[in-house]
Amino acid sequence: MGLTSGLFMGTVVGVALMFGWSYMMRYRSTKRISKAMDIKLLGSLDRNDLKKICGDNFPEWISFPAFEQAKWLNKQLSKLWPFVAEAATAVIKESVEPLLEDYRPPGITSLKFSKLSLGTVAPKIEGIRVQSLKEGQITMDIDFRWGGDPSIILAVQTALVASIPIQLKDLQVFTVVRAIFQLADEIPCISAVVAALLSEPEPRIDYTLKAVGGSLTAIPGISDMIDDTVNSIVTDTLRWPHRIVVPLGGIPVDTSELELKPQGKLTVTVVRANDLKNMEMIGKSDPYAVVYVRPLFKVKTKVIEDNLNPVWDQTFALIAEDKETQSLIIEVFDEDIGQDKRLGTAKLPLITLEAETVTEVDLRLLPSLDMLKIKDKKDRGTVTVKVFYHEFNKEEQVAALEEEKQILEARKKLKEAGVIGSTMDALDGAASLVGSGVGMVGTGIGAGVGLVGSGLGAVGSGLSKAGRFMGRSITGHSSSSKRNGSTTPGNDTPENGGSQPLQ
Amino acid sequence: MGFFSTILGFCGFGVGVSLGLVVGYYLFIYFQPDDVKDPVIRPLVEQDTETLQRLLPEIPIWVKNPDYDRVDWLNMFLRHMWPYLDKAICKTAKNIAKPIIAEQIPKYKIDSVEFEKLTLGTLPPTFQGMKVYVTDEKELIMEPSLKWAGNPNITVAVKAFALKATVQVVDLQVFASPRITLKPLVPSFPCFAKIFVSLMEKPHIDFGLKLVGADLMSIPGLYRFVQELIKDQVASMYLWPKTLEIPILDLTKAMRRPVGILHVKVLRAMKLKKKDLLGASDPYVKLKLTEDKLPSKKTTVKHRNLNPEWNEEFNFVIKEPESQALELHVYDWEQVGKHEKMGMNVIPLKELPPEEPKEMTLNLLKTMDPNNPVNDKLRGQLVVELTYKPFKEEEMPVGFEESNAVQKAPEGTPAGGGMLAVIVHEAQDVEGKHHTNPYVRILFRGEERKTKPVKKNRDPRWEEEFHFTLDEPPTNERMHIEVLSASSRIGLLHPKESLGYVDISLADVVSNKRINEKYHLIDSKNGRIQIELQWRTS
Repeated sequence: MGLTSGLFMGTVVGVALMFGWSYMMRYRSTKRISKAMDIKLLGSLDRNDLKKICGDNFPEWISFPAFEQAKWLNKQLSKLWPFVAEAATAVIKESVEPLLEDYRPPGITSLKFSKLSLGTVAPKIEGIRVQSLKEGQITMDIDFRWGGDPSIILAVQTALVASIPIQLKDLQVFTVVRAIFQLADEIPCISAVVAALLSEPEPRIDYTLKAVGGSLTAIPGISDMIDDTVNSIVTDTLRWPHRIVVPLGGIPVDTSELELKPQGKLTVTVVRANDLKNMEMIGKSDPYAVVYVRPLFKVKTKVIEDNLNPVWDQTFALIAEDKETQSLIIEVFDEDIGQDKRLGTAKLPLITLEAETVTEVDLRLLPSLDMLKIKDKKDRGTVTVKVFYHEFNKEEQVAALEEEKQILEARKKLKEAGVIGSTMDALDGAASLVGSGVGMVGTGIGAGVGLVGSGLGAVGSGLSKAGRFMGRSITGHSSSSKRNGSTTPGNDTPENGGSQPLQ
Repeated sequence: MGFFSTILGFCGFGVGVSLGLVVGYYLFIYFQPDDVKDPVIRPLVEQDTETLQRLLPEIPIWVKNPDYDRVDWLNMFLRHMWPYLDKAICKTAKNIAKPIIAEQIPKYKIDSVEFEKLTLGTLPPTFQGMKVYVTDEKELIMEPSLKWAGNPNITVAVKAFALKATVQVVDLQVFASPRITLKPLVPSFPCFAKIFVSLMEKPHIDFGLKLVGADLMSIPGLYRFVQELIKDQVASMYLWPKTLEIPILDLTKAMRRPVGILHVKVLRAMKLKKKDLLGASDPYVKLKLTEDKLPSKKTTVKHRNLNPEWNEEFNFVIKEPESQALELHVYDWEQVGKHEKMGMNVIPLKELPPEEPKEMTLNLLKTMDPNNPVNDKLRGQLVVELTYKPFKEEEMPVGFEESNAVQKAPEGTPAGGGMLAVIVHEAQDVEGKHHTNPYVRILFRGEERKTKPVKKNRDPRWEEEFHFTLDEPPTNERMHIEVLSASSRIGLLHPKESLGYVDISLADVVSNKRINEKYHLIDSKNGRIQIELQWRTS
């Protein structure tokens, strides 16, 4: 009796103990899990959530902008700035000087920094936005503003005049830097960083140029030349879709996916121009056209003398890297002794083109691609081009990439031999040998500074004159109008600086 | 009889309890799944008031305190990166653990220990606010509030004597507020040399530890005991003022400190060119290191001599022997007008053997461009003797870490006295009426010292150090510090003006040894100046 009841009681107690334990386990586990959920929920609050939690006591100091503020980062940055400035100086010199060399306009024999200090005012990060637009990638947009007091003196050496120091003053950089982090399975988990300046909103880079101990007017057009080169460097290396890919150490990774690659070939026939403006005192203009997608690869037509309705009928092949955002730029110049005059510029967004069909369009020439800068509404005539866009397949892409490399290499060699003043106008190499004086492509291209920050945050910036960023800003509007499938680009009105094709 | 049945009863109870435990174990615990499920999380707006009530104590600190910044972008970043981070960390952990396990196994007669499951779960750590402190020292201090309530599943299977036991860690939760200090700041990327991490409070740690499926942590009392144990353990290691130190940069390199001395002996020059109209040239040599801000050194002028003998010695402090070079310029001295260049040459320091004198005969060139045809002309030769002496390790100036601490006074200071060091760091919001080219004038015991002027700057940064050797502590004395501005042109129109001044009593410095503070300037609208004072005794 005693044994049985003992056994029974024992079993009951044992089972109860176990039950108690498991109950305790479940209780604690649910408690922990619910806490984990709470923490997760509170990790990303938005306005409505907070309103619900706080009710009427909603803290006034909290706001939820699209670009999240990072005051703490700015505090740290301003403290760290003197040290960053000193460290960055060397890096900038190293990375920008070769760039300057590449984009150096003809007529300038050497372009170097003679003094470079970034000043005492730290840049400000107005806001940060993090998105994941693609699996395995994190996109971080940094609203970056810098109204600094850097002291940058460029030693500009021209063929005609001895070295003149040119100072860049009152630099202001307002831009959104996009950094894309490619994730990987190994520590540090980021295999590559892609940096670029977002084209929307347009980067604004302002500065004033001042000659030290002299006047800029000593060399006509030098200010324009510098402005234009800065502009070319920024648009051609930093501005989306152009980008800088920095593979991070340790992880061997294929970054070719991230790199900008030739996407298609654009065959452009510059047919003719009509009703050009007369710029000459005696006789008529001697027009020629410069055509490019990237300022690094410019091509030129022959000069037709004394004609306001020239017929060129010349065909060129250009490479397009990003059909979505790139445009074909056509600039018409009047060849002149000294500096060539710009007769007008036209822009054809590539997105308006249909692949594999020949399109002939008339484009109205505008004084500048930047709508804000256009003061007069005078008619500058039109230019007619025939374009044919061919999308590359894999093999062609590789071949095109190879070719591009070769061209750049060849140019470098030519340049070393001192034949071409600059790589910029070298695609028709032979032609550019003619009088590489100061004003060959004239104001079309210039010299300048682009600045690539590096280090922890890949702080990128650049220098260029206000509003010098012509064109290439395809707004959401114009791209969407293409997606509507309009084959008559004449109906589209690109919001910003696009020339209107006439139908 | 009653006695016997009681005994039996007890025995039965004992057996029954064990039986019951086993039955209960199988009933309630064994058949429970031991994998960790992803919790289903409903958006906050759909939650009822009860849940909201539960949430209240966990409200992020940035909601409650305006001095904490929201860092949701960082959380977002972390959330997207977490799956990758999870894999990477687990892989690394496995790789580290493997050799250790392999080494330990034979000692305990265990067949194998392996990770059955190892994942950190789907929930990433979150930062619930970030606070930074601004001090006058050269350091960055930030205090993130870190909360990780994860759902990791770490299962270790131990096999011994043909039996298998599993230990599982689940639901790890760590809440901590570490203070991260980056210092010292240095002028090369990433701009700081060390990271110091320390905890401001004891961290909160909670987890479930399942041994063969049963959670030990839910035994009443045990959890608290273990938690306290871990907290104390962590606290004894990292609780402020104890810190974890992570070196990032080598300080010697980062600070560009001197690594050696270069002795230069300018011996003579031969066959110099005649530059003066009457008589021979009057040559002298200027020596300078590249990338050195110090003024160049000069030999004496040898009048009317085209083959001068100098035999003069100079010393240079070398910071980067790999990239620096010695520049030698020969000039023709003139009584009136500009001294004419007679030629130059450059010796890269990396070409020099350490510790042995090397005599070099250099051809004088017009420019350093090797291809320039102007260099073909003969300009004479210069003979110098160079000895590069790198510092030995023990001779190296003592570490930078102590620089914040007060250094010893140099030898030769009188007993009872010491050296007063004044470091003028920077000023803010100083403004003159007509010009703002601020420099600082220090007046102490009738002695006057000045910094260099900074041109056109309202927030100048000088970083200059001045020394005063004293016989006794300056307990009852004051130091007058004035910010002045002088016109950049000859100041006839606008003479130099004062931008503000401050008198600092030195008694505090003597008792504190070191004071680094911002002072408001008197007679200035908003100006402040940061001055560091040190009292160094022998």
